[in-house]
Amino acid sequence: MIPTSTPRSDPRSNQLLATLPQEVWERWQPYLEPVDLVLGQVLSEAGRMSAYVYFPTSAIVSLLYMTEDGGSSEVAVVGKDGIVGISLVLGGNAMPNQAVVQSAGAGYRLRAGAVTSEVQRGGIVLQMLLGYAHSLMGQMAQTAACNRYYSIEQLLCRRLLLALDRVPSTALMMTQELLANLLGVRREGVTAAALKLQRAGVIRYQRGRIDVLDRARLSQRTGDCMGTAVAA
Amino acid sequence: MHNLDYCSLPAAENHLIGLLPRKDRARLVAVCEPVHLVPGTVLCEPGSTTREVYFPVQGHVSLIADAEGKPGVEVSMVGREGMLGVQLALGVTTSPLRALVQGAGESWRLSASAFRTELANSNALHRILQRYVFVLMAQLASSATCLRFHQISPRLARWLLMSHDRAQTDSFQLTQEFLAYMLGVRRVGVTVAAGALQRKGLIEYRRGQLSVLDRKGLEAAACSCYASDCQTYVEQLG
Repeated sequence: MIPTSTPRSDPRSNQLLATLPQEVWERWQPYLEPVDLVLGQVLSEAGRMSAYVYFPTSAIVSLLYMTEDGGSSEVAVVGKDGIVGISLVLGGNAMPNQAVVQSAGAGYRLRAGAVTSEVQRGGIVLQMLLGYAHSLMGQMAQTAACNRYYSIEQLLCRRLLLALDRVPSTALMMTQELLANLLGVRREGVTAAALKLQRAGVIRYQRGRIDVLDRARLSQRTGDCMGTAVAA
Repeated sequence: MHNLDYCSLPAAENHLIGLLPRKDRARLVAVCEPVHLVPGTVLCEPGSTTREVYFPVQGHVSLIADAEGKPGVEVSMVGREGMLGVQLALGVTTSPLRALVQGAGESWRLSASAFRTELANSNALHRILQRYVFVLMAQLASSATCLRFHQISPRLARWLLMSHDRAQTDSFQLTQEFLAYMLGVRRVGVTVAAGALQRKGLIEYRRGQLSVLDRKGLEAAACSCYASDCQTYVEQLG
């Protein structure tokens, strides 16, 4: 959260920031604050206004939905492909989801006011952000279908791929407990599925770290769960 | 408890069109044509180019997410509170969802190009549709979590309430196969869940005709997702 002076990742490693036209980029650059996003950090609460939007560069953020009767699961994943706080762009007065950092890393934040004034200008930035809103909806719809039909193993494979697409390495820092919470399943289920993947040589699992050894087979085991997801 | 009636939608109007300032509304309606939506018609295939958009008045449409090798599952519903083809307002010409007419009735329709022209001319239309996107997004999020946690019976009650809001009639034709497809469950699951709602006197279901007898009771039997969806809608567009 606190802007630091350590060497930063290039803000343009976020794909949305990378596609900003030069003129907009120059307008935004002075206001983009580098931030370290810490595991478990809540960037916005469901039902609240958020003071900032976030552009992850190496961190991964989960959007979680909680039902009124207490069930909670991840509905979408935002990494270097996107922005956390799209509701602001859509003019919604609060976030429908809780946004929690699930993989520590870097990112940039921008004051909500700066985004809303940019959105009011309309034009290419608004179009770009709206396009991202659409891909996020695609991800949520796909999550819904997967939640209905896929086994824990398939859900786990899909989730690992979603993370893998958003980090620079093949090592994912994730505990089984966290994965169980994200998928909305019991921890024992995740343990069994992870063991199976490990025995098959697809991943290596040790103390909160998962190394993906064979991405192709991970993808095969997902079935077609990723198939119709909208490319981010 | 919120339901869509809290918006006091005039029965003969699409609510999004109704929210437009008079001039914008007149211009939009002038380029719309009335069509009758026939149940079972697919208005949009996943991934295909959106050629027309719809503002339903009485008919309503299910949005279905495909899962290859599986029948798919309904993730949202569009009736007079919404529109079909809102991705055009996001600058996107395709949708990953299948749009299947569920309830018969009238709808406004206009071509994608006429719709784009209206978008370019009406800031109000833009603003309203962006809020509608927010509502849809919240609905997709709640559907994803609902599908993970909630049992068939409360999901069926939710689905019936959503249909009831949009159909504006207490009785509709529904096969068990169709309900099973919508909920992404086996037919026997629907039989059991509908039987339970019927025994409580909330619905009557015989020979493919389903009647809502006790709306309040159905609201109590539905999962919390119904109330949250309605609340979001009312907050954004009520």
